[in-house]
Amino acid sequence: MLEVKEITKIYGQGTTAVVALNNVSFQVNRGDFIAIMGPSGSGKSTLLNVISGLDRLSSGEVILDRERIDTLDEDALVDIRRGKISYIFQQYHLLPSLTALENVLLPLTFSGVQGQDGKALDLLQRVGLGKRTGHKPSQLSGGEQQRVAIARALANDPLLTLADEPTGNMDRKTGKEILDLFEQLNKEGHTIIMVTHNPKAAERAKEIIVLQDGQIVDRINQKGRRQ
Amino acid sequence: MKLYQVVAKDIIRRKRRVLYATLGVVIGTMTVVGILTIALAGQERIYGQLEKYGANLTVIPAISNIDMELGNLSLGAVTVGENYIPEDKLPEIRQIADGKIKEALHIQTEGDIATLAPKLYMNTELNGTSVTVVGVDPPEERKIKTWWRIQEGEYLEHTDQALVGAVAAQLLKLNVEDRVTLNGSDITITGILEETGSNDDYQVFIPIETLQQAFAKEGIISSIDIRALCNACPVEVIADAINQNIPGVRAVAVKQVVATEMGMMEKTNNFMLALAGVTLIVGGFGVVNTMMTSIHERIKDFGIMRAVGASRKQIIKALIYEAIIIGIAGGILGYGAGTLLAYAIGPLIFEGTTINYVPQYFPLSLVLAMSIAIVATLYPAFRATKIRVADSFRSL
Repeated sequence: MLEVKEITKIYGQGTTAVVALNNVSFQVNRGDFIAIMGPSGSGKSTLLNVISGLDRLSSGEVILDRERIDTLDEDALVDIRRGKISYIFQQYHLLPSLTALENVLLPLTFSGVQGQDGKALDLLQRVGLGKRTGHKPSQLSGGEQQRVAIARALANDPLLTLADEPTGNMDRKTGKEILDLFEQLNKEGHTIIMVTHNPKAAERAKEIIVLQDGQIVDRINQKGRRQ
Repeated sequence: MKLYQVVAKDIIRRKRRVLYATLGVVIGTMTVVGILTIALAGQERIYGQLEKYGANLTVIPAISNIDMELGNLSLGAVTVGENYIPEDKLPEIRQIADGKIKEALHIQTEGDIATLAPKLYMNTELNGTSVTVVGVDPPEERKIKTWWRIQEGEYLEHTDQALVGAVAAQLLKLNVEDRVTLNGSDITITGILEETGSNDDYQVFIPIETLQQAFAKEGIISSIDIRALCNACPVEVIADAINQNIPGVRAVAVKQVVATEMGMMEKTNNFMLALAGVTLIVGGFGVVNTMMTSIHERIKDFGIMRAVGASRKQIIKALIYEAIIIGIAGGILGYGAGTLLAYAIGPLIFEGTTINYVPQYFPLSLVLAMSIAIVATLYPAFRATKIRVADSFRSL
């Protein structure tokens, strides 16, 4: 479904150039749950940004659903974000003026879909926030805000969900609950790529890609081990 | 949930910020509405006067003032010429006025057409207070002063009666039926006028023969007011003809006075409008600045919106919705504030002007305010959407 082909990303020019990604290739299939791990500066956030079209490639190709997305302009990327790729951020990034329910409805609003309050309520139910739908982000804990963000990421039924350090701001217990939720969603068929520097978090994925200095140094398939 | 609802909720959360942006719009709109309201009131006053006095001429003795100067020092002025018009010039003046009117309107009728109201002014004392007593021809004066209303009592009918202006009645403590002595003649107060806002308020009117006899001024008058038949009558032509044919007098058409006043007014109005324009531009920059800040501090929010599928157009649309709301609020407040401004400073700019609020300026105010808000929003809005989504998160 997602094919990353020999991608390279170089920041800056000449002697000050920094190679953030060096000839990285891998594939993601429907139903995968992949963790991208590595120390700070290993290029994992850059990888996530270039996959999602938030950042440009220096060379290589990113193919999603048989379509090259690394060359798309901003207007075409809008369509990708309205149903193919969704994001979950470390900082949750909810709109402070909207309630939990309204934040979940936001992607649908931009897609021009109306009257889907029932779907949004279902999603909040699924992430365990069925009773806090009318609360604003400021009235929710970090774990609860991240649940809202997860529900929001599912609103447009995306092919692929990208999560950037989703438990980075949480204590261990809350982080575990969020990872449980990821696991549950993956079991229901959602494809997830999660960037983390936390090995405990990465262990919950089916596959771990380990990055170092912009290169894949290890790939661990955990399917066998965990079952 | 619709886009405008997202905008509305955001505005409710940021009320103070939005109010601050609105303030800039209010200032610009207020200035324009205020100045337009004052300008209109000034114009209406002049048109009102033109309507009232437009058909009138005044004939006064031809006097010239010679300025007395020593080098650059002014020593005042001396008056040269007669201070009175002989009464026997009246028929001549009537002939010229009627002739010109008949000529202009192509009418052949015999008899009088114009109204000629001769006057004699005397400064004297009544009840121990100095006052201007005006001798008038009662029926003719009534035809000229169509705006006179009697507050109390009756109009002049007999030679020993007096009509008192509203302010003069208060100052001289005169009431209807009071008897006074004017240079030896007994006079009864027969009526008191309502206030007119003119000199008439300070004067006492008695039949002209009575005044002439009392002060031994038989056969002479101070001035003649002429009312032509219609507003379209050629008052300037009549004035010219009188000036050319009758020596010792000077005729002035009220229209000419109004035209001069109108010209001055127009200059003042243009100056004020230019001032309003400058205020609008300065205010506009203020609003651009406020909107820049307001949009810049929400860069992250726009990044979030775009990450969940908003297009650039939708972000700009949302900001324009916000601008429209600011424009509507600014337009309403600006109209109110501008009208109050006009009430406050209008009478200082055009003395004696009554300011009225102008409902037609309300839609104008709304359109103006919305235009300022939208124009001020567009540039920062476009700039905001040029930022890449990833950068919008990084910048904070």
